[in-house]
Order: sequence, then C-alpha cells, then structure tokens
Amino acid sequence: MIRFDNIQVRFGDHTAIPGLNLEVKQGEFFTLLGPSGCGKTTALRTLAGFIEPSQGEIHIDGTAATRLPSEKRSVGMVFQNYALFPSMSVWENIAFGLKVRKTHKAETRALVDEIAGQVELTSEQLDKNVSELSGGQQQRVAIARALVLKPRILLLDEPLSNLDAKLRVQLREQLKNLQRELGITTVYVTHDQEEALTMSDRIAVFNRGVVEQVGTPEEIYNRSATEFVCTFVGAMNRLSVEVMQRLRDAGAALEADKASYLRLEKVALQRPTEASDSIRLDGIVAERSYHGAHSTYTIHSHGSSIRALVAEGGAAPLVAGSHAELYIDPASVLQY
Amino acid sequence: MRNSWRSLLRSPLVLVVALVTLWFIATFLVFPNATLLIGTFFPDGRFSFRALEKLVSSDRAMNSLWHSFLLAGTLAVTVNVVGIFIVLVTDYFAIRGARMLWLGYATTLIYGGIVLAAGYNFIYGRYGFVTNAVGNWFPDIDRDWFSGYFAVVVVMTLATTTNHMLFLGSSLAKIDYQTIEAARNMGAGTLRILWRIVLPALRPMIFAVTVLTFLTGLGALTAPLVLGGTDFQTIAPMILTFSKSSGSRDLAALLAIILGLATIVLLAMMNRVEKSGVYFSVAKVATPLTKQKIPNRAANVTVHIVAYALFLVYAAPVVLIVMFSFLDSSAILTGTITWDAFTLGNYATVFGTPSVLRPFVVSVVYSALASAIVVVGMLFVARVVHKHRNPVTTLIEYLLHIPWILPTILIALALVMTFDRPQALVGGQVLTGTTSILLIAYIIVKIPFTLRLLKAAFASVPESLEDAARILGAGPLFTLRTVLFPLVIPTAAAIMALNFNSLLDDYDAAVFLYHPLYQPLGIAIKLSTEGENNLDSMSITFVYTVLLMIIMGLAMYLVYGRGRASTGRRRRVRPRWA
Repeated sequence: MIRFDNIQVRFGDHTAIPGLNLEVKQGEFFTLLGPSGCGKTTALRTLAGFIEPSQGEIHIDGTAATRLPSEKRSVGMVFQNYALFPSMSVWENIAFGLKVRKTHKAETRALVDEIAGQVELTSEQLDKNVSELSGGQQQRVAIARALVLKPRILLLDEPLSNLDAKLRVQLREQLKNLQRELGITTVYVTHDQEEALTMSDRIAVFNRGVVEQVGTPEEIYNRSATEFVCTFVGAMNRLSVEVMQRLRDAGAALEADKASYLRLEKVALQRPTEASDSIRLDGIVAERSYHGAHSTYTIHSHGSSIRALVAEGGAAPLVAGSHAELYIDPASVLQY
Repeated sequence: MRNSWRSLLRSPLVLVVALVTLWFIATFLVFPNATLLIGTFFPDGRFSFRALEKLVSSDRAMNSLWHSFLLAGTLAVTVNVVGIFIVLVTDYFAIRGARMLWLGYATTLIYGGIVLAAGYNFIYGRYGFVTNAVGNWFPDIDRDWFSGYFAVVVVMTLATTTNHMLFLGSSLAKIDYQTIEAARNMGAGTLRILWRIVLPALRPMIFAVTVLTFLTGLGALTAPLVLGGTDFQTIAPMILTFSKSSGSRDLAALLAIILGLATIVLLAMMNRVEKSGVYFSVAKVATPLTKQKIPNRAANVTVHIVAYALFLVYAAPVVLIVMFSFLDSSAILTGTITWDAFTLGNYATVFGTPSVLRPFVVSVVYSALASAIVVVGMLFVARVVHKHRNPVTTLIEYLLHIPWILPTILIALALVMTFDRPQALVGGQVLTGTTSILLIAYIIVKIPFTLRLLKAAFASVPESLEDAARILGAGPLFTLRTVLFPLVIPTAAAIMALNFNSLLDDYDAAVFLYHPLYQPLGIAIKLSTEGENNLDSMSITFVYTVLLMIIMGLAMYLVYGRGRASTGRRRRVRPRWA
C-alpha cells in the first residue's frame, strides 16, 4: 500500500532522515514511535506531501507519489493541534474539502451528516464554532474533516497528545474501532509507547531518523531488536556486572560483556510453582510504590537496585527493610 | 515558511506583489532620501561642506539644534516622572477612583499634536480664555506667560505620557505578583519593593519609552511652533522655515538629516538594550498583580492629592474645549461666561458652511484612503514576506522599515525636493503641489507599523492550518481568502482604525505637502492659532477638536473596547451554500 524507498530528508545541513525504507500494508494501523526529534513526524509529513525528500521515492498503491502534491495523494490528516479553521463553524470545517471539490450541496450535506454520525458529533455541535468545543470534540471534528473526503490513507500526528489521560484512553479505543470499521490504512505518529502498543497492528520504532525495528507490538516489547528499542519501550532493569556474575555462576548461559536488561514483570518475588530455570537472588526491600492494581518494589541486591512489578491481591506486601527473594529466568534477560 | 526561490517565482501574485513593492521602495523610499542627501552634500556635483558651514554660521539654526536637544533631555525627565507616577497610581497602588483617574490621564489618547497645542494656546495663550479672564483682574499680567520653553515642556509632557500608559502599563501587568509576595515575606516594605523589585523589572520598557520621548522631543514641530514663541524654536520648525526659501533649502535638508541621524542612533541604542537581558517574569505560572495599599497614611494622602491634581491638569483642557465649542467667541475673548453665551452656532457654522467643513472632510478622506491603501497593500506584502524567506524578501522587509527611522519631516521634505520636477520613476510626472503627494506621504509613514503588526498576525496563524487546507485540496489563493484572511482581518481593521486616527490631525507632513485648495485639518487648526483676530476660527477649531475627539474615541473603542467584548462565545450557523 505505502512504500518508502530509501527516503532521505535534509533541512539545510541537517539530515533528519538519512534513508528510510518502510512498507505499510493495506488496511493496517501502522505506528511510527519514537522520542521527540527522532524523525517520525518528518516521515509522516513527507508521506503527506508537505516535505519534499531530497532523495528516494514514496509509492502509494504501487504508484510513485513523491512528486504528487498533497491534495492528489488521497490522504487525510489529523494534526497534533487539530488545525481546525477558527473562523468557521464545525460544519464548515468538515465540509471545507467538499466545497473545494465543488461537491453538490445535497451530497455535501449527506456526507457531512454521515461522517458526523460516525465520529459521534451531534447536529447541535455541528452548528457551533470550533472554539466552543472541548478538546475531545475538536479531535472528532478533525477526524471527520479528514475522513469526509474518503481518503485511502489516514495520517494521524499525535492526535491524542493534547487530551487528558482518561479521555486519551477512551478516544484511542474509539479511534481504533473507527479505523477497523472503515478498514482505512492508517499511519499514526506518537511518542507514547502505551498508545503504540495498544492501538497498532505494527510499529516502527524511530531513533535519530533511523528505523530501529519494525514489528508487532508483542515483537517490539518482548523481542526488542536493539538496546534503544528495549529501553525506549516499557520499563527496564539494567542488570549490573555483579548480578550478571551471580547469574552466570548459577549456570545461566549469558554473555559477560554485553549490556543486559530485564523487564520489571519478569522479576518474581516468589518461587515459580512450575518447573523453571529461574535463579534466585537475595536482596533487601528498599521501597514499595503502590499503584492500585499492582505495586513496584525496589530491591537492593548484589550492589544494584532491581525493580519488580507485582500484582496486588496475592501474598502480603513486603515492607521496606525486609528480606526478599528474587527469581530471574535467564531466558528473559535481553542482551545487546 | 518556505525559503525556496522556486515557490516565489511560481506564483504570479507573489511576483506582482514583489515587483510593485520594489518599485514603491525605489521611487518613494530610497530615491527621495538619496536625492536629499546628494542635494545637501553634492550641490554642484562635487562634495561640499557648504550646507554645514551655513548651519554653523547661522545663529537661528544652531539655537534650534540646542533647543531641540534641551527639550528632548527635559522631556526624558519630566515625562518619565509624570508617566511613571500615572502608571503607578492607576495600575499599581490602590488609589480611590483609579478608573476615573485613568480616564482623565487617557484624554491624550484622543487628542494630541496640533490639536493639543492649539487647545492649550486657546486656553492659556496670549489671547487664551484663562489669560483673558485673569487679565480682567490683573491688567498688567504678562500675556505671554504661557509660551516658550516652559509652555512647550508642559504641553509635551502631558501629551507624551500616552506611551507610558500604553506600554509601561502593560509591562507592569506582566510582573509576577509572587515576586512581590516573596519580597514582602522577606520583610521588604512598600517603597523597597517598588524600588528593588517593580521598577527594575520595568527598566527595559522605561528605557524604551524614554528613547521614544527623547525622539518626540527632538522632532517636535507643533508645540514649539504654536507655543514656543520667537525665543524657543527647535529643529523641526526651523526646517519648515528654511524649506520655504530655495536659498536655505540645503540648510533645511541638513537639519533634517541631523534629525534622522539622531533618530537612527537612538533607535539602534534601544534595539541593543532590548536584546540584552531578560527582566520579565520567568515563572511558568505567573500570578496576576494585585494592587498595593500604601500603608503610610501621610504618603497615601499625598499620593491621592497629587494624583487628583494631575487629573485636573489632564481633564481640564478637554472639559474646557467641549464647553468652549458651545460658547460664542466674544465670551471666550472677554473671559466671562454667562448662560446667554452658550450656543449651537459654532456647530451650525461648521456643518452649515461647506468651506468650513471642507478641511475636516479633506482630512477624513486622506486618512481613510491612506489607511485603507496601506493596510490592503501590506496585507499582501506581509503574506509574501512571511511565507517566502529569501534575500529579496528580507531586503524588501528592511527597506520598508526606512520610514520608521526617518522623521516625518525629513520624509516630507525629501518628497517635496525630489518630485518638484518630472521624474521617470513616476512616469515623468511632477508630484509636488498635487493632491497625491500628501497621500503618498501618509502611506509611507504608516508602512512600518502596519507591516510589523500584519506580519505578526500572519505569524500567529499556525502553519498547520495552511497544511490542513492544502491536504483538503485548497489552492493558495483559496486558502488565503477563506482561511488566512478571516483570521488576520480583525487585526487589519484595528490597524486601519489606528492609522486613520493618527493621520486625521496630522500637521507634520501636511505642512510641507498639502494642496492649497485642499487644506487638511491640521493646517486649518494651525492657521486659527495665528494672531488675535481669529476669534471665529478659534471657535470653529474647538468644534473640530470635539469632532476629532469623538471620532478618535470611537475608533479606540472599536479597536480595544469591542475587541474585548467580542472574545466572548459566538455562535455560527450553517452557511447559505450548505
């Protein structure tokens, strides 16, 4: 559906993207994930046609689209700040693209009403000025405006970043449902790992303009290809030399000269019931942070602090200063 | 923002705007001022100090230079003292009736320049009402008591505090109140907080308004002309006098160049100070200022008394002008007011006599035309300059700021001296003496202010709006018309109103460039201040002034008052095409 072939983007002397190769499949929810300034938005804007790459080709549906103006690429875009036209009503905003295309009035009315219904905007809200809407409602207008022209591709540039935490969770579910319902190929940009993991079919993790890994959320999280992906996505314990020595002494086949990481939920504080290769470490509980459904323990062991995530409702909580047993399965240790 | 040459050259509209602007800059900004410089220093095609020698040997010219710097220096002190006091009593200290005091002090927002000078002259001048009234009791009084250095300083001090009210007031509002609370928490008293916390935070703005005040004093024309008398004439009136004779035009040009150089040096100093140091709040969550009580009772009473005395000084001329506009001229002359003296005759004369109304209409037409043309033109220029950054647009932007660094008098003189013969750049026409040259001058002087604000308005529109319109298929012109213009039009309308206001009573450009058959208001008012046998024109001037104050007050309300009111919720209905 979408193919980036060795795309290079330069701004003066600065190279934002040195050479991007990426493929997005038809109907896929594809996320570009990475920290600020990593080139994910630049890649999205290049796909939208706002930035002309200095090298390479973009193909949409097998056709070269690099030189096509943005309005000819059949892409709809939702901007980070929504970019709603403040001098127009909600209705005028959604109908803007149809007016540009000189769509018949009756058809415009029908199309606007249809898309408004899909994004759950009421008739009363359509008559309001955009400044009268809440952030969540403005976001729906932006989505409706992008979708009313029935584009083949929907581009979303951090559309949830301006919303509060609760609304963000609610809207990401609705957004994902709408995408699934319409079957539209979607490219989503975010720096929020949780958003990427929960919404995406596949994720491309960006770092300094380079894609470090492309994969499903499970692959990205459990089988991070690089040290950057491993540390950027989800919380991690970096295991000290002493801990690694202890694990190797206990028979773990781990390399000594590599950086070693372990996810918090892979540290057990109770002996696993099933037969496993887990290795026991002893430590002292330094701190417990209560999060409601789970707690995070910080345990000093072999000269380093190891954090463990434990579901609440099981054994009695450990108190600071008490002895703790940690069980680590060497197979869970990621080395780079 | 795009910086490619290709995008600039691709659009015919952009090309037309760039070409017209370059022609305008070359013809009216660069060429006249270059002609003035060349005419002064290369009178016979060779470099010469002749003008400088004439200047040094002319006592009048040298005196005018000294007087200008003396006036500018005095005003830098007096305006700051009065201006800072006004801002503190209206915005910082808890003073009873502060809102009313503000209105009194703000009267200079709706009348200034020649109108203010004429107003004071009619009240306190040789033939003024107060002088006449006092003269009835004390016939030996010096009737010229309100003239010369003293009168000019008083009038200009009162007229120039508007900068403090507008700019220093808004700077004060930006001070983070938590810094004051922190100082108080550490035991600092009211005076110490004012001296060590508040005033230092205002220092850059105080410096900026001081420079503006100094420049106003240096280039003052109307106040010295009307109230200076023979003993206190400054550069600008001298330029006007010397420019009237062809033998001393080089002297006028040299004085104008000196004025221009002083302006450039001072503005450069101001820019330098503006760039150094951050004095405004660095807090992420600044707390709004709360008015401070003056704990010392004696100090509180003294501040109240001075504040109200100043209020009277500011408000009295306005009240008197309004009252005098309803008085018959003999009552003003004799200084005795009875109920019978009140009349609507002056208004009837103004509205009923076409020749009397004419200056008013001429000024309204000139101001409206100039402000509309400059705003419409700069809308396109600002758009092009903001959208396409390249050496040509940068050069255009810099050159369009020339009128900012040159005094109006110099610009006017340069226009007169350049276009008094056929010039190829304007199709071989002579413009001096025509009605168009004053319009051109008005457009020129309003360009920098208009361009700067409109560019800021375009810059405040998020670029993503244009991207959104583009991805939805809208072309550049459609986007400009439907998305961008509706967002910058309120700013454009406000600029138009402010430009209109400031041109309505102009004297500085008009005195050099007006067409004898189409005398603008500034000229008519100035003429009415000359001699003692102008009683009727004095009464008519009071009517003009009242009308000006109404128009200016209305424009200020439309720009500031209505702006605030319209920020409320606004419902829109579906458009007709839906």
